[in-house]
Amino acid sequence: MTLEAPPGSRERPPEGWEMTESQLIRQACEGDGMAVRTLYERYAPRVYAVVRRIAGEDDLAQDYAQEAWIRAIRALPSFRGDARFSTWLHRIAVNSALQALRKADTRTKREAPLPEAIPVPASEGDVLLGDLLERAMDRLPVGMRQVLILHDVEGYTHEEIGEFLGVTSGTSKSQLFKARAKMRDLLCPSRESGDEGKNGVEAWGI
Amino acid sequence: MGHLTIESLARLVSEAPTPEEERHLAECSACRIELNALQEQTEAIGSLPDLRPPPGDWEALEARLASEGLIRTSGLAVPARKWWSSGWMQAAAAVILFLGGTALGSGAFASTGEDGLAQDAQPPGLELIPVTAQAQPVSNLADATTAVNLAEQQYMLALLQYRQIMDAQGGPSQASDPTTRLAAIEAILAAGRAALRQAPTDPYVNGVLVSALAEKEAFLRKASLTSADVVF
Repeated sequence: MTLEAPPGSRERPPEGWEMTESQLIRQACEGDGMAVRTLYERYAPRVYAVVRRIAGEDDLAQDYAQEAWIRAIRALPSFRGDARFSTWLHRIAVNSALQALRKADTRTKREAPLPEAIPVPASEGDVLLGDLLERAMDRLPVGMRQVLILHDVEGYTHEEIGEFLGVTSGTSKSQLFKARAKMRDLLCPSRESGDEGKNGVEAWGI
Repeated sequence: MGHLTIESLARLVSEAPTPEEERHLAECSACRIELNALQEQTEAIGSLPDLRPPPGDWEALEARLASEGLIRTSGLAVPARKWWSSGWMQAAAAVILFLGGTALGSGAFASTGEDGLAQDAQPPGLELIPVTAQAQPVSNLADATTAVNLAEQQYMLALLQYRQIMDAQGGPSQASDPTTRLAAIEAILAAGRAALRQAPTDPYVNGVLVSALAEKEAFLRKASLTSADVVF
């Protein structure tokens, strides 16, 4: 499988950082705690974000993220530089979180409705909208949430998602469309999806 | 044709419509509005920012990595954030930094460049990466957070260089070039001071700076006792 940065990747390393990455990795392979810390500082938010969203809850996220880092540091000597380190690390984080989630019994509490009356003032729209979206994603059924995150947030293709989840790309697509529709319902609960005559009457206001 | 189902519209966010769907969309404003809402929703999801791990995450990870033998103990202690939680300690650190920067740093390093790095003292084969120590003005929390993160990363780079210099010279106890060592400490201080300007109350930044200053003071004290012709 080709290892490329996901299209949705937004990481923009500061200028000059690429010069030191291989140096850091080499030091980290030798067990240098400072080098590992530097890699952690650089990539922890990205790793934590994808793991947190896959986990769907804070309580699990930190454990999953730490497990991802342990795996990555353990596997660091096998990193040959064929892909960018960030891409390699991100895939380890995704696989680690998915595997941990399979082990955990988290198939409850997914359908709880969103709290009502979440205000979205224009001046703080981005922050509150982000919070609203995160909370809605947490309430998606696990399969839908995973596909939505991997495709719409992280930018993986359906083929790549199929490999992550062990499903066909068609299944991934189907889950994605259901997830988007479910998100629409969660974000705008007063409308009734699929009910003829009501579609579009209340557009999602952002 | 009736309205398009919500799942069909969700598909049309990323796929082309069939001719029949295209005709319906041309005629049905309700479905167009719903599709537009789904497109905006997808765009917003795709723009979600990364998330900072909870406080203490690195300390917990470091303990696990150490317990599994994946990292070795650092030669230069990095103080844990929790050591540095009281306000008066942070204020004291700022005072120490100010005094240390003016009393100890000025004119003491004849062979050290303005950026705090001693090019002449660089061991052969070792690539020193310039550590910038410039504080940019910030006006909001997001920019300030980014600045603090960058400054911390700069500090870590400087510290890494320090360790490399020590390794190249056989370890801290065998360091044979005091100018190089002092220059490395100065690089750490420069990056740390930049971090302090961005985040004067950040406990981590204050902690590492005081550690670096203590290291520098100890070094200067030792140098003054062991050498009669030191320049400082």
